[in-house]
Amino acid sequence: MATQTNIAKYSKATSELIGTTTIAPKKIKLIIMILSILSILGIVGIVLKILNGFEDKSAWGYYAATISFLLTTAAAAPMVAIAPTIAKADWVRPITRIASLFSVVGIVTALASIPLIFALPPLIVDETRRRSIWFEATNYSPHVWFALSIFGLTLCGLGLLYSSSIPDLAAMRDHGTGWRKKMGKSLSRGFIGTDGQWKSLKMRIGMMGTFYFLMLMFVNFLFSIDFALSLVAGWKDAIFPMYHAMTSLQSGIAICILAMFFARKYWGMENYIKVPQFWALSKLQLATTVLWFYFFYSAFIVFWYGRSASDQMVINLLIIGPYLPVFLGAFFLEFFVPWWILVWNPVRKSIPALAVVACLVLVGVLLDRIRIFVISWSTYSNEVIHKKFVPEENFPQFMAPSVADIIVFIGLVSLSALIFILSTRIFPLVSVWETHQSLLLTKVVKYVRTHVIAIGKPD
Amino acid sequence: MQQRRKLSQKQINQELLSGNLKTPKWYIPTMLFLGFFVVTGFAVILYMFNTGLGVTGLSRPVYWGLFITTFVFWVGISHAGIMISAILRLTQAEWRRPVTRAAELLTVFSLLTALFFPLMHAGRPWRIVYWLMPYDFARGIWPNIRSPLFWDPIAIGTYLTGSTLFLYVALIPDLAVLRDRTTGWQKVIYTILALGWRGNPRQWLLQTVAGILLSALMLPIFVSVHSIVSWDFAITPSVEGWHSTIFAPYFVIGAVHSGVSAVVTMMALMRWLWKWNNHIRPEHFDALARLLIVVATAWLGCTFLELIFSVYGREAPEIALRELQIFTWPWNLLFMIFLFTGYIIPVGFWVFKKARNNIVIMFWTSILVNVGMWLERFLIIVPGLARKQPFTFTWEAYTPSLVEWYILVWSFAWVSFLMLLFARFFPLIPLFETKESQVFTSETKIGRATVPVIYREED
Repeated sequence: MATQTNIAKYSKATSELIGTTTIAPKKIKLIIMILSILSILGIVGIVLKILNGFEDKSAWGYYAATISFLLTTAAAAPMVAIAPTIAKADWVRPITRIASLFSVVGIVTALASIPLIFALPPLIVDETRRRSIWFEATNYSPHVWFALSIFGLTLCGLGLLYSSSIPDLAAMRDHGTGWRKKMGKSLSRGFIGTDGQWKSLKMRIGMMGTFYFLMLMFVNFLFSIDFALSLVAGWKDAIFPMYHAMTSLQSGIAICILAMFFARKYWGMENYIKVPQFWALSKLQLATTVLWFYFFYSAFIVFWYGRSASDQMVINLLIIGPYLPVFLGAFFLEFFVPWWILVWNPVRKSIPALAVVACLVLVGVLLDRIRIFVISWSTYSNEVIHKKFVPEENFPQFMAPSVADIIVFIGLVSLSALIFILSTRIFPLVSVWETHQSLLLTKVVKYVRTHVIAIGKPD
Repeated sequence: MQQRRKLSQKQINQELLSGNLKTPKWYIPTMLFLGFFVVTGFAVILYMFNTGLGVTGLSRPVYWGLFITTFVFWVGISHAGIMISAILRLTQAEWRRPVTRAAELLTVFSLLTALFFPLMHAGRPWRIVYWLMPYDFARGIWPNIRSPLFWDPIAIGTYLTGSTLFLYVALIPDLAVLRDRTTGWQKVIYTILALGWRGNPRQWLLQTVAGILLSALMLPIFVSVHSIVSWDFAITPSVEGWHSTIFAPYFVIGAVHSGVSAVVTMMALMRWLWKWNNHIRPEHFDALARLLIVVATAWLGCTFLELIFSVYGREAPEIALRELQIFTWPWNLLFMIFLFTGYIIPVGFWVFKKARNNIVIMFWTSILVNVGMWLERFLIIVPGLARKQPFTFTWEAYTPSLVEWYILVWSFAWVSFLMLLFARFFPLIPLFETKESQVFTSETKIGRATVPVIYREED
């Protein structure tokens, strides 16, 4: 199969893809500058929030929602690369790098979560242990374990990105110039593509991917319970960590679709990221959209029929309470509207339409995070936390975000985008070695009166 | 190593119709053996109807025992068909082909068997009619349509109808093959059932579209069936251990775990009994085992969440139930068997490729899974009811009677009997899918390696 034509194709792909790290899209400097300013503003906003202290828990609601949004969106994006790779899907190769590049955003999430860890109340409140999953553990267990897990997840994500980039770094060593060549030389660690090196690489990617998935689930589990559920007296909801993780995958897919859209539009990746990639992701997006409703309804029906005081409290507080418009926003943008759009196959093959759906889903997820975390942090109080459920008179009023909350949100999102864009100056946006693999394993062949694609599926 | 063999269409027909066109030696003794249990089982059921439910171990407060456990178990097994056939068809997993028919069949027969249990459990099954239509116009007694016990027959009935249709649509091309190879009364029946199938392009198109549409339509039904069964328990706040929001996905994932394991058991038996070594190969067991690792781990995660949240509320009755369920004899033994057979032993084997490709190991581990999954349902249903409540005025410990055990054995014999009866007249491995697989798969040489290739339509 390795004909002269193919070799020419490989060389072209290598130079084009390595070139994306050096050739900047138009106006990139301006974008980087704007994002940098917004990021600095966001950091200032965080400092101001810290200076205001941690006593007033309700002031940290929007901050918790922002961290949850970043955690669920960026941290879940690498799963778009991991799951289909394990399932040997061939369509995923052009987008694995975009998906795993989001693990660098984990650095922002991990660092930004530190103030929130300080804001989290201890397990023993007024000399009585509050309800949590930590039962008889030490007073600051949630704080310590969450910190360890979020930094563990970030390290694992970076490890995954590095492992899957080694052949590309070697290509950079061989085809790049300047500091990129030097960096490629030191980071590729002598990779020359022997059988042993490929085997070890694939094993490492598989292991890191599996480990990343487990860590992601664990972080979602801890964050959803410690930073939301256990702050509301009487809220007992076993499906909630799964719901949080599932919406995380939903927004992870949405952010990948958006990044793919921009990669085509501004990085000229039209020849690499094509309709099949969008089409495949749209089906996953549709599945997660339907799952949103299933998970929501599974909890809702149990509370609805339960009719106990705590069951009714959950519905009154989290759904039909002061945040009903926010809930309806989440309901329509995370489920109803995307579902009705994505159910049509022609739409699932339309790249601009999918980008619009991805934006809607991301806004929906943000609203959902606001509903959950702002309510949880503004409901919490030392007096109520030991009760069996939150009495109606203790329900918080709707709380609009403060200027600082808005600045922090915009700043952290900008910082995440900035780090992502900067990392594309180091790693090619589409994996070079996986593009080669695609060229090697996929070809169009004539079959009776038509043409079909022959896809090699190595073990 | 490639396990696939190129087979001619004639060879495929000969091998896969061997059980239909002539009777294998083992067939009649096996049917007689199973028939004995079927007939005596029905006799025991009639004896129970005649004598009353007093012959069972059911008594206050344990009114739901072995029958309801087995009902949930068989509904769970029925999830095999749609998981294997519909989901893998929609995801275009090539390895699904030899397994689909048997999985769909298992769905239909296990649902039919499941339906027996609520009927038997009613004691006087003819009174079931009162659940379905107004009981007494004069006194205004109506079926309670808000009860999940009412939704159950509707969900299961819909699932059974859909599954039967799904099975039949996929069977039509094979019925035409049988029509062309039989004589006499058999030919007449196959002719009627084949609906004039000639295999022209329009018929193939309709058959393919029907398959895809039914797959997509069956998916929500598939999820709803076991969710509704789970809500029989979850919406009941009065029984500790049942009122949990995670029950719906927990039951569905558990059902997929037990259903797919049952398919593995059946595949091993099919390979051994009909010597279909060319069709059911170790690679199929390997693929199913990898799928099962994911499903089993997700199921274990749900089990963990369910347990954590049962004690999260720190309510004394709930903690007392868990103490009974996990630490008190004999429930603790059952709990350990459930955990080891449901996850630890099987997944412990499946992580090794050699074990995944060893059919004997796969056979026994899949049986272990179903032992564990049956126990899981038993441990959910019975201890919750059996725990001594403060105001219970009469008290009996629950020990299933011989009648109940015999009816349990009857259910396994009944499903096996029906499966073998079907296999005598219809091919258990779809002929057209096998032939299609021969066309859609091939091999190619890349460098020194031989790589399997699949063909896909060009986008």
